[in-house]
Amino acid sequence: MTLTAPSEAAEVYGGATPRHHGRQDNVIYAARLENRSGSVIMPIFQPASEAEVTRAILKGFTRDLERYAESEVVVVGGGPSGLMAARDLAKAGVEVVVIERNNYIGGGFWIGGFLMNTITLRAPAQKVLDEIGCPYEEYSKNLFVTPGPHACSKLIAATMDAGARIQNMTSFEDVVIREENRVGGVVINWTPVQALPHEITCVDPIALESDLVIDATGHDALVIQSLEKRGLAKRIGEGGMWIERSEDAVVEHTGLAYPGVIVAGMAVCSTYGLPRMGPTFGGMLLSGRRAAEEALRQLNKGVPAAKPSETKSKAIARKR
Amino acid sequence: MAGDGETLSRVYLYEDPSSPTLDLREVATHIAKVCGIPAAVREEFLLHHGTDDIDFLAKEMAAARVTDIARTLGTVEPPSQLILFERRQLESPGRRVHGVLYDGGRVQRILRGALPPKERTLDTPHVAFTSRLVGTFGDADRRYHARATVLGYPSLISTTGLVEGPAKPREFYVAKRGLRIETADARYELLKENFAGRFLDFDDPRLTQVAKGYALQALFYHITGEPFCDDKDCVLFNAHWQEELLHAQVKSGVLCARHAKVARALRDGRKTRTR
Repeated sequence: MTLTAPSEAAEVYGGATPRHHGRQDNVIYAARLENRSGSVIMPIFQPASEAEVTRAILKGFTRDLERYAESEVVVVGGGPSGLMAARDLAKAGVEVVVIERNNYIGGGFWIGGFLMNTITLRAPAQKVLDEIGCPYEEYSKNLFVTPGPHACSKLIAATMDAGARIQNMTSFEDVVIREENRVGGVVINWTPVQALPHEITCVDPIALESDLVIDATGHDALVIQSLEKRGLAKRIGEGGMWIERSEDAVVEHTGLAYPGVIVAGMAVCSTYGLPRMGPTFGGMLLSGRRAAEEALRQLNKGVPAAKPSETKSKAIARKR
Repeated sequence: MAGDGETLSRVYLYEDPSSPTLDLREVATHIAKVCGIPAAVREEFLLHHGTDDIDFLAKEMAAARVTDIARTLGTVEPPSQLILFERRQLESPGRRVHGVLYDGGRVQRILRGALPPKERTLDTPHVAFTSRLVGTFGDADRRYHARATVLGYPSLISTTGLVEGPAKPREFYVAKRGLRIETADARYELLKENFAGRFLDFDDPRLTQVAKGYALQALFYHITGEPFCDDKDCVLFNAHWQEELLHAQVKSGVLCARHAKVARALRDGRKTRTR
């Protein structure tokens, strides 16, 4: 089978009238399929004009942007913790959008340590892989391995399937500040705008309003950093000592760090002064989950705040 | 610190709800048996002596957090995220905090401040078990050191410090360095398995046995002003290595002859006094 050039394709249609808008030369012709004898079989794609394609892009994009101009939660950073948080929130019926500065989603989840794309997770994080339908192997007791591309693509799909929306190539610029200095959204701009010299890209950003912002921006902790610039917060920086379980520490510290801001993933390390972690991703996934739980609590949706007495009595009950 | 052992009314032990293998009732029974001093078990210290002003406590606890091990704590206002974190911890003390070091003296001061005046007496020793890792600043090398205990009023026994304070076997660190692994690396857990039994781990089944000895250290410090013993077979031995800790607390598990005599005198003195 061969594909012919579009200029030849016009003749092939014969009496058939391709569906188009506007001028004849704007018609996008379907490619022609020929078998070995050279006879036409059928076109692959239905025709659509360039203008129609442009309108479709615009309408789809503006419809989405219009919806998430006001969300319940904005997740800044589309790495494993941000995606996990967005997926759990969307599953719980929360209006959530993920802002990602890169074209690709998934952050470091595509690849493991030393550029080798096998990723490792320690129990109980493999249960997340079960949830998103990603196969894995038990390398040794409580240590699981899976190909990064498989796990990452499954997580992205699961996040979108749950109903979260993703705005990629979009950089976080600042926070929206509300009364009593509470954070009430984010200021964003196109990533390419940030990448070019200011003199030629004087493009004003736009703002998205939200009840909560989740800072899942990795080591930079960009949301907390923006608060720091205003003198409203202070990052402690990565560090820490005497730590056997830094993954546990990241998950335990995940939570509300500032009114309106929840910190998740590696951003937790620099916000709270915890050590960097090795190439295991369980901490990122479970930190994302903890962030979603905290967000639901803050939004008064489903996860009740533990009362001290209840917490204690439960703990004691477990012990006895 | 020097309470009169014969007049001590009761020792109060405070639970660490994040340690499922710690049975403080057994520790209380042990203290009563060894020293003849009744011991009562209470819930987690700040829950028991709770205050309505949880925000104040959270702020105090956030200020006790060591963020630079080479500097003593100043009087800087703690950042908001630490206050919010401590508030969550105070609300759910059953969650162990990993990787955070607190200034032991500051924590002691916070706990002491929470005690009601009638219990803030030398006749009433308090021993608070906690999951928080506590440390003290060493003037010699100008840095903080993690501790299993910070003795005083009240005395703190850190269940995290018992694991992370005393050093693991030298070979463990050599192997860890050879493998170039971080503590969060999954292989770290595998490495630990190769040294299983040679150090105390989180939720270790030997924790209650170890806690008995450390509670006695707190009590002896309260009564005599001397918590430790030079005898490696005595439960009052100040272990700097995990293998020393396990030897003194688990393999030996008893007081040396000299301290056993002190304990006997305490028991006899209390008996004489109560007759």
